Formats: sequence, C-alpha cells, structure tokens
Amino acid sequence: MMRLSSTSIHRPPLSRWWLRTAGLVVTTAGCAFGMAQAQAQAQTQAPQTQTQMQMQMQSETSDLVSPPLPAAPRPLRIDAPVEQRLANGLRVVLAERRDVQLVTTQLLALSGSEADPPERAGLAAMTAALLTKGTRRHSAAALASAAESLGGSLDSGAGWDRSQVAITVSVPKLDAALGLLSEAVRQPTFAQAELDRLRTQSLDELKVAYTRPGTLATLTGQHLLFGNGPYGRPAAGTPTSLPRITRSDLLALHAATFRPDNAVLVFAGDLDAGGALRLAQRYFGDWKAPSMPPALARSPAARPQSARSPVAPTGAASGDIVPALPSGGLSPTAAVIDMPQSGQAAVVLTAALPPLGADRPAAAVLNAVLGGGFSSRLSQEIRIKRGLSYSAGSQLDARRGPAALQVVVQTKNPSAPEVVSLMQAELDRLIAAPVGEDELAARKATLIGGFSRAVETTGGLASAVSSLIVAGLPPEALRTRIQDLGAVRAADVQRLAAANLGPAQRRLVVAGEAASFVDGLKAQAPGLTVVPADSLDLERGDRLLR
Amino acid sequence: MAARGIAVTPIAFTERTLPNGLQVIAVPSSTSPTVSVQVWYHVGSKDDPAGRSGFAHLFEHLMFKSTRHLKSEQFDRLTEDVGGSNNAFTSDDVTAYHEVVPSNHLETLLWAEAERMSNLDVVQANFVSERAVVEEEYRQRILATPYGRFFNAIPTAAYQVHPYKRPGIGSIADLEAASLSDVAAFHAVYYRPDNATLVVAGDFDARQLDAWVDKYFARLPRPATPIPRVNDVEPPWPADRNVNVTGPNVALPAVALTWLAPPVASPDAPALRIAAALLASGESSRLNQSLVYRQQLASQAGFEADLRAGPGLLTASAIAAGGKPLAQVGAALLDEVLRLTRQPVAASELAKVKTQVLTAALLTRQSPEGLASAMAEAAVLEGNPAAINSGLTALQNVSAADVQRVMRRYVGEAHKVTLTYTQAPGAAASAPEGAGK
Repeated sequence: MMRLSSTSIHRPPLSRWWLRTAGLVVTTAGCAFGMAQAQAQAQTQAPQTQTQMQMQMQSETSDLVSPPLPAAPRPLRIDAPVEQRLANGLRVVLAERRDVQLVTTQLLALSGSEADPPERAGLAAMTAALLTKGTRRHSAAALASAAESLGGSLDSGAGWDRSQVAITVSVPKLDAALGLLSEAVRQPTFAQAELDRLRTQSLDELKVAYTRPGTLATLTGQHLLFGNGPYGRPAAGTPTSLPRITRSDLLALHAATFRPDNAVLVFAGDLDAGGALRLAQRYFGDWKAPSMPPALARSPAARPQSARSPVAPTGAASGDIVPALPSGGLSPTAAVIDMPQSGQAAVVLTAALPPLGADRPAAAVLNAVLGGGFSSRLSQEIRIKRGLSYSAGSQLDARRGPAALQVVVQTKNPSAPEVVSLMQAELDRLIAAPVGEDELAARKATLIGGFSRAVETTGGLASAVSSLIVAGLPPEALRTRIQDLGAVRAADVQRLAAANLGPAQRRLVVAGEAASFVDGLKAQAPGLTVVPADSLDLERGDRLLR
Repeated sequence: MAARGIAVTPIAFTERTLPNGLQVIAVPSSTSPTVSVQVWYHVGSKDDPAGRSGFAHLFEHLMFKSTRHLKSEQFDRLTEDVGGSNNAFTSDDVTAYHEVVPSNHLETLLWAEAERMSNLDVVQANFVSERAVVEEEYRQRILATPYGRFFNAIPTAAYQVHPYKRPGIGSIADLEAASLSDVAAFHAVYYRPDNATLVVAGDFDARQLDAWVDKYFARLPRPATPIPRVNDVEPPWPADRNVNVTGPNVALPAVALTWLAPPVASPDAPALRIAAALLASGESSRLNQSLVYRQQLASQAGFEADLRAGPGLLTASAIAAGGKPLAQVGAALLDEVLRLTRQPVAASELAKVKTQVLTAALLTRQSPEGLASAMAEAAVLEGNPAAINSGLTALQNVSAADVQRVMRRYVGEAHKVTLTYTQAPGAAASAPEGAGK
C-alpha cells in the first residue's frame, strides 16, 4: 500500500516511453544516402558472372527496401489453472509454469478499499499493510528478515475489491515462505506502536504525493464521479481519515476480510497440483471461518450522478447480492486544483461505466484504442503529432462495482486548455464512428501481446489469475482471454463509448499552476470550480473545498 | 551454482563479431514463442557534444522516426501492431534499443534494426515535435516529480571534471540549440556496426539467425574514422563538499551523500554490490531498519552502487520524516553507512543478501527480454558476455572481509559530497491542510 520500497530511491533511466506501448504517424522519408549504402555489398565468396552479380544485387537491394514479411506464427500455449478447495472453503488455484525454479504465492481476500467506512478511508490499506508488521511468532523486523532470507519479500496491500499478501521465492524456499505468509494472514498482532508508526509514515507519504499534480488530479476526478461513496474516497486515505483509524477497526476488518470462505490461495510457477494442495493443507487447513457469514456488501458501489436510471449490472455471478446504493457524485463537472509553481499541469478526464460483466474485453479494447499505449489515439494526437506531452494515455479501472475510465495527460501549464480540447475530441470520436478494422486489429494485437508477455513470469501469471478471480470469473478464463479479446467488434466499442462517455458523463480536473491556464479553460468549461490545493477536501459529499 | 539450495542454471549463449565490428550474441530459450532483439550502442550521455547536453537522449527518440525505408513510427507498426512491444533507454554509457516480438517476426526486426543503424533520415518537422516531447519529459521527470530536481542535481555536484557531470536529460536551453544537422552528424559518428552490440534471446533457430544477421548487418560498412571516446580521469575530492538544492514544493526535505566508485569492471565491484544490498535491499535492510523503522528519522532511505564504465557513484539518500531536522537525518545516514566499515557483517546477514541476489537473477531470466538485457549488460557494460554467469559466482564469493575492505577504501577513507534538498525561500510548500500537521 503506502510503504514505498526501502531499496535505493530508484531513478528510472531516460526512456522513450514511460509506461505503456507505442503510436501512429505517416510521413515519407527521402534521401539518396541510404541507397548508396545498400549497394556497397559485401563481397560474395565465389566469383560470379556479370549477369549473376547484377541479378544478385537487384534482388538483394529489393530485399532491403522493405521489411521482410513474417513467417507463420508459432503457437502460444496457456494452460488452464487448476482449482481445488479445502474443507474450510479456501479455494486453492494453481497456474503451472515449470522449469523457472520460482513460485509466486498469493493469499487473496475478496474485499478491499471499497468497504472502507465513510470516515475511515484507508482502513483496508492500513489493515493489509500491517499484516506483515508483527505476528504472534515474529516481530515486524524478524518477519522481514525471515522472508528476505528466503530471497523474497512479504508484500501486502489492498485495492478495490481485494486485499492480499504475496511472496515469490525459489522452489527450495517455498515451504518456509508459506509458513511466513500464513502467519501474516492468520496471526497479525496489529500492535499499537506499529499502527502509530505506519500512520505517521503514511501521512508523510501523502504530503509528498500531494505535491504531484497527477495524484491530485486523479484523486479529485474519482471523487467528482463517486462522491463520498466507495471508489470516490482515496484508497490510501487522507490526512484527516488516517488519524481516525483505531486498533479495534483493524482487528474487526481483519476478522471480516481474512477468512477461508472469503479467500483464495493462488500459486503460480514451478509446482504441481499435489504440491499446491499439500502446502495449502499444511498452512491453512486448520484455518477456521468465524460463524458469521461473510459480509454481503461485496457489491457495486454508488453510480455517479446522472440523468439516466442506474443500469443493472450484467454478468453478476448467481448468488451475489448487488444492492442498489444511492448515487453520490459531486455536482461540479469540472475543477481546477491550483498548485502554484507546479512543474506541469496534470489533465484528467474521467467517466464511469457500469459493472462491466461480459463487456470486460470490449472495455479493454476501447481503452487500448483510446490511450492504452504508445500507438493509441491520445498518444498519436497529443504526443507524436504535437509534442505536447511525454506520457499521454488512459487507464481502465475495472471493478466489481462501476468501472472508471481515466484519461491522464501531463503537459506544460500553458498547454492545458489545448490538451483538454484534444482529449474531449478523442472521446467524441469514439462515440461518433466505429474503429476501423486495421486499427482495431492492431490495438487488439498490442493488448494480447501485453497479456502474453505478462504471463511469462510467475508474478505476472499470479496477477492475471487473481484479477480474474476478483472479477468473479473462473480461473479457466485465463485460457480464453486471448480469444475473448480477439472477438471484440468495433460495434461493441462504439456502443460502450456512446452509452458511457458522453460529454455530460465526463468529469474534468486540471491540477497545476492555475494562473497559466484557468482563463483558457473557463472558455471550455463555464461551470469550472477553482480550488487551492491546500484547501482540497476529498472526503466531503457535497463539495471540494474544505 | 547451488549455494543455499538455489541452483541457477548457467546461461548458454554464442558470440561472434562480424568483419565490420558488430558484436552479435545469441541466447536461445524456448519458454515462449517470443524473441527479444536488443541493439546497444556504445554511446551515452557522457558523449553529449559540448553545448548539447541531453543530445544522446534526444537522438534516441529520433531513431524511431523516418529512415530511407521506414516511415516515422513504422517501428511501432512492426512491433506493437503485431503483438510486440518496444522501448529504448539512454544512460551515461549506452543507448539501448529493445523490442520483444512474436518469434515469427524476428527477421523483420533484424532488418529494421539494420535499417535504422545505417539509414536514419529524420525530417525537420519530426525533429521539432520530438524535441518538444523530450522537453515535456524533462518537465515531467525533473520539475513535476517530487525529488526530480534533487536527483538531477547529484551528478553535477558529485563529479569535478568527468562528463558524467552533465545529467542525461540535458537542459531546455541546450535542447533548443540543437538542430537537424547535429542529428546526422551524431549518427555518422556513433551509430556504426563497430560501436554496437546486437543481442537476440528467446525462440529462434540459431542457423537461421546467423543467416539473417549476415544478410542484413554484414553489408553495413565499418567507417575508417576513429570513434571518439571519453577518457577523462576524475580526480578524488580533496575535501568534503556541501551543496544545497532548493525547490518550490518540497514537502519533506532530503539528503544525499555521494562517494566516487570504481568502474564496473573493477574486482571491487561485486563487494560494493553486496554492500549496497546489505544497506538497502528490502524491508530488513540496514538503512530501512535503522533510519525508517527504529529511529523514525526518515520516510525513506536507500543506497545505490551506480557502477559504470568509468568512475561511478556510491549514493546514500534519505527523505526526512516529517518534523525531523535534516542534519540529524544526514548524520544517522552517514553513521549507518560507516557501520559497514567498522564491523564485519554477520554470516546470516551475508547469506540473506546472497539469496536475494540469486533469486533476483532467477526472476530476471524468466523472460526473453530479461535474458537479453542481462546479457547485454554483461557484454557492453562489463565488456565480457561470460560475466552473465561469472558475475553471479563473484557475488556469491564475496566475504564479510571484502565488504569491510571496500567500504573502508571507497567510503571511510574517501571524501564525500553532501547534497541537501530544501524548500526554496519565499515559496510556501503547497499541500492540503492537515498534511503538515
């Protein structure tokens, strides 16, 4: 969650592209320089006739002027994970990857930050983080030392709809690693001193995070969409919510969340089904669920305020109760967070989609087309064509409740109004016309390629499996993910865009040095609210100002 | 090696050098039907021309623009659009272009890398727009990232004469002074087969790879001109030095201590890497336990052994915890680092770090890209491809006495540069109310 890595404060090397994939520009090259080079061939070994040499040069030259075509594709095999279950209800899911000598183990609980009580944003994140800060058998320091002596580290945290503890070790260390993981999950002590220490550290981290324009803009965007309900409050908590969290809160949430009938033990790597079951039985076999049933509130959160009636979620697993909650978005649709002397402006445009269900693949493709990588439309228009940003893209937060699509671009302060209009135009374009077949195929290929590479590592494989589980899908869906993405049609993408990304459904936030852009923005968004950064309140249900 | 029960299988590879000087390394691996293709040019930000800081990095961006036979960004059509990915990075010593593609696209990428090695032809409009992108990268990494200005100031403070002094991102002024003719000149001087290493890892047929490399790369001529090299000798600091850096929105002040490090090929390098891991690798590391956990003086603390082709840097750093005096944080940081000079580390702690190192190697080697990157680092930075295997052995053989010895030599007995990062006077740090309480 909040604790950043304690290894050396890492400076990433200067790279062409910050995070995701790459863009589309068509210009023609022209220069005689290259042709002269191409004709300076290496000497062939055997003497040749004049004609032979002419023919060879001709064919070699023509081979060199355009990219050779690819060969036939080689099959990618993704095996279905194997699922087993203990008597206490704990699901045990194994995705095998042999010969890598590593295993990633993750104990996943199926609730997280969406369940934070209104006054206690950050509770799920704190609870998860404190699991590794002392157990009945090991102090925090001893637990860290034990885990790291095995070559791995116990990483715990919470997100939307999930909380987890994970560790990756080489095969000889796996049994010992399961022991430590089990302790952290089942017997954390939540010592008051550890709570106080983590709270102080988290408050310090928020001080730093709040000097990032991207952080303030994205948090404010989610708050405008979802108000003071789940997903609208920061999962990391705020300077006012964190001090309210007590040890009793932690104990109660731990008992409600980390129980075998609300959890899945995921293994990915060099292990077989028998081995997985044995480890699960040894370290979690006697884990008992409390007599109270798991909370039924594993439910979609409030829909943002909109003129339309709430759409019933599709694809809900049978037996899930999905109560309707009151909508809770804030009334401003556009806000500026004033950060004097900010190095850039962060521009965020965001909208909600209903719980995705069967539309998950289409939403992923929509995001890929829009801003899911270097070749996306946002990157093309904002970065490649106009040089207005180093990172221009979008991300899709898919959850059991409403999903959120966030378009995020950082640019110099004076460019913010131009970037806003470019972002709006790209959303309009998704609604106005279906994506062309070539572009659709290319963006699907990018998405599928990213997925294929992610599952090459035990960590990526465990993450892919756990994402499916959190979404309520069977682990076997791992095997059909590529087909599902491939089957998305342009009409699906356009339908999703038209239903959810209309102008009235978008929320705009720009965080930066307001003096540089606020007048230009007011022309585009007349109802703009301007909030000084140190007056921003992300916990009120009615406004952004403290 | 099978220390502590972990057996890391040695990487098998082949290596050859073409008549035109191109070094070619192949690492077969059949774990997935993908292949990583990497070309590492032996030029980096240390080679930035005078008055053109940031140029090597700008040039890296331009290598994705037009060539004689490639349209601008067509490289992305050949990678992303077919289920692959690509990126590149510029460091002080190298500029590396790397991509991963489904293995049936290998020939295409070899053609494309040879094409841009030999036929780059950027047009003015793309030069101007990509320069603007690099200036945004500067703003994003340096101006809009909380400690961007601080870390960007370290090289200039830590070196006296060596070109490593200049940050690789350069300055907006020097970027604005660059021109399209500089691009062609830089390409001619540095982008040549005898200044490059090609690494291919993953799913490929060795003979087919050899044939394609011969077809597309062997024809590239080796220029007769010499390659300019940086050979500056960095003298030791005659005394400790203090530098203060300020910023407009410094929520928590920070401190860094730097010492000069030997080149990456030095026999002392393995012990320095182990020392860095003892100090900073993981929650149980010395700096985290002492400064962050027990004393609660720091919000974060770290130590990096930044080993390079030339003189590197050992950098200890810490972000102060709220309300803690920076001088006290700096003193605690120094004290913890010096502890490694005073007492040999315990066997169990040394074993822990070595297990972390071996596990990290296994993690990296799961993918063709990880394999190729590890191989390229060994070949280009250490000058020895076999170091991909012998390097791990060297790390496992580091003794407690070695750690103490190198820390005494490069830290205890050397002068340091101390940098502090504080709020600029006259500007209030802006943060939501309550955050500072």
